[in-house]
Amino acid sequence: MATKTIAPSAPPSAPPSAPRTNARDRAERRLAFRMTAPSLILMALVAAVPIGYAIWLSLNQYSVRTAGLSRFVGLDNYIAALTSQEWWAAFGQTFTFAAFSVTLELILGTAMALLLNLAFKGRAVLRTVVLLPYAIITVVSAITWQTMFQPNLGLVTNVLSTLGLPGGDVVWLGEHGYAMAVIVMADVWKTTPFAALIILAGLQVISAETYEAAELDGASKWQTFLHITLPLLRPAIVLAAIFRTMDALRVFDLPFVLTRGANGTESMSMLAYTQLRENRLVGEGSALSILTFLTVMVVSVIYIRFGGGNIRDVAKEEQ
Amino acid sequence: MDLNRPALPLQNKAARNKAALAASAIAVALLLSACGGGAAPQGAEQAAAADPASGANASGAVNICGVKDASGIYKGTAEAFTKANGKVTAKYTEIGATTDEARTQIVQRLEGKSTECDIFLSDVIWTSEFASQGWLLDQTELVEANKDRLIPSTVETTKYQDKYWASPFFTNAGLIYYQKDKVAKPETWQQLYTEAAKAQGNGFVYQGKQYEGLTVNFLEMLYSAGGEVLDDQGNVKIDSKETRDVLDFMSKGLKDGSADRAVLTYNEDPARLAYESGKFGYQRNWPHVYRLLNATPLADSFGVAPLPAWEGGKASGVLGGWNLAISAHSTNQAGAVAFIDFATTPDWQKHVAMDYSQAPVNEAAYSDPAVLEKMPFATELLASVKGAKPRPISPVYPQISQAIYKNVYAVLSGTDSTEDAVKKMADEITTAKASF
Repeated sequence: MATKTIAPSAPPSAPPSAPRTNARDRAERRLAFRMTAPSLILMALVAAVPIGYAIWLSLNQYSVRTAGLSRFVGLDNYIAALTSQEWWAAFGQTFTFAAFSVTLELILGTAMALLLNLAFKGRAVLRTVVLLPYAIITVVSAITWQTMFQPNLGLVTNVLSTLGLPGGDVVWLGEHGYAMAVIVMADVWKTTPFAALIILAGLQVISAETYEAAELDGASKWQTFLHITLPLLRPAIVLAAIFRTMDALRVFDLPFVLTRGANGTESMSMLAYTQLRENRLVGEGSALSILTFLTVMVVSVIYIRFGGGNIRDVAKEEQ
Repeated sequence: MDLNRPALPLQNKAARNKAALAASAIAVALLLSACGGGAAPQGAEQAAAADPASGANASGAVNICGVKDASGIYKGTAEAFTKANGKVTAKYTEIGATTDEARTQIVQRLEGKSTECDIFLSDVIWTSEFASQGWLLDQTELVEANKDRLIPSTVETTKYQDKYWASPFFTNAGLIYYQKDKVAKPETWQQLYTEAAKAQGNGFVYQGKQYEGLTVNFLEMLYSAGGEVLDDQGNVKIDSKETRDVLDFMSKGLKDGSADRAVLTYNEDPARLAYESGKFGYQRNWPHVYRLLNATPLADSFGVAPLPAWEGGKASGVLGGWNLAISAHSTNQAGAVAFIDFATTPDWQKHVAMDYSQAPVNEAAYSDPAVLEKMPFATELLASVKGAKPRPISPVYPQISQAIYKNVYAVLSGTDSTEDAVKKMADEITTAKASF
């Protein structure tokens, strides 16, 4: 296995020479495999068995009228889902949510990381404090946001109408677009600190010498940010983007509490939940879960393909 | 993931792929962890029956399971029963913080044939679903033996395929709270809406969020207008003039200012809080709000009325409340029968009202002087309860309710026309009823 690392700051690792294929090497490799086998098997059991079981469930229908009655239906549950308007609506809405929330989180997260990277008194304390929103249970923060946007009583609506700004008389959670905006805001508020922390770690491994060299060359602050900081930060930003996108595509609790999926906010996970839990349609619900899983996986692969390519380029340039 | 070391570089591509895969797998596993497991084929037909006479000789322990005991009524009843009975000891086990959570917990126990609980506290809308799965003891004989002391409409909520599967414990029905200083007591819905549109502070608040509560709010009006969802044979009857009239009426109310558009985001609590702000004239809510309103500055100015009638129709409503269902896997069925016998006695039903502000299932309790002192609106509440009907009784009720509240919401929020919504509602209910 190659051990080349991709972070710009990492020391050059094992020489990339072609692997020697002598007998001792092979024996060592076998030993390594044997020693890791138990944990590999355990991981396969933990990950593969539930997925396999879910796939099996999704190929069957389970009666809601007679307990214990089921029948094999092949891909019918998938066909039903993929030809339904509900699935594609949820699909589009989930991606809209993910696009807006992840973009905002990365921009704000980068800004926050730059601030936290400055040397000032109380920096350590502040770094912990900014994580607070992330530590609050999502359902609790969702209820708080719901209260803030409540017409007549909510903080946000009251402030807006007192200042005569637009939006004060809008029933935010009762309108298309506005409802999605509240959900995006709640998510950005909660998870920006997480993105910031990942990016901050990336920021800290950029060596001070690079900045000194830029300063000597007479680069302005903006030029330094654009040509030094941002390119070197790219791996950390991509990593944050992958984590956040995967999370965002599985969003459930925010729309569940804030709107129950009304006004164009139903997500793929909510759809699966309704079928599985509320309606006890185990086969249909499992098919929806598998479709959600496949969607998330495809997006992750795309990220790694394209985002990953960039990471490699950066690493190569460094060397 | 480890927050303290978030920038650990991902290793090579294969490892990154694996990480992504594993993360996605966990996501799915989490989603799916709830499902699975099926009971052996056993329907309502093969269910065993509870013997009403067995309660007299019962002994041992009885465990009652259900939602968090907010008012103290479940634990209180178990304690009082244990004291009164002498031979059987009852205890109450909370198995869910919310109604939805409790349902999930109950279904898991029933599917797994757990013997932990002898009695399940069943929301009136779950009873037919549980019965159809063969999870409950047939209580027909027990209910027949107690029938003369139970309000008929509450007994109907326990009926599935001509048998009774639970005994009603306490009931619930919607009420109208109104500001006596601003608006008149409503006799009809039309009068309420007209009055509510007259002035800024007269508005009507109800539960219009996209959820079960909207089904209830809509059906209350539909029933009073003479409409129905399913007829006695279970045929879909929602595609009717009455449904269209009610939908048009509700959506017009949102446009002309009778009801604030904010109701589209309200469930029970936000509706109550909005009303408590003093900016509204009418509120539709449950009886528990009475006690809460009495603790606000509105205490002296609000009145309580039963749900109004539809113009030219009658007053009706939708029954809420909780039933006591005996698990088919209970190991102390005689003890369970003894508990149910106690909980439904006229004497204990008075305590249900006096001590816990819940609506009794025994009619005499409503006119008891001691009850009236604690619950001055008992007469209005009884009127609402007696006029109310159960929600559609079907093992696929959750799907039927979704078909109702999603389409009603689409009309109210203006994203769908009445005509299209009614057609969709009927189609979706027909599809739900044809579920395998």
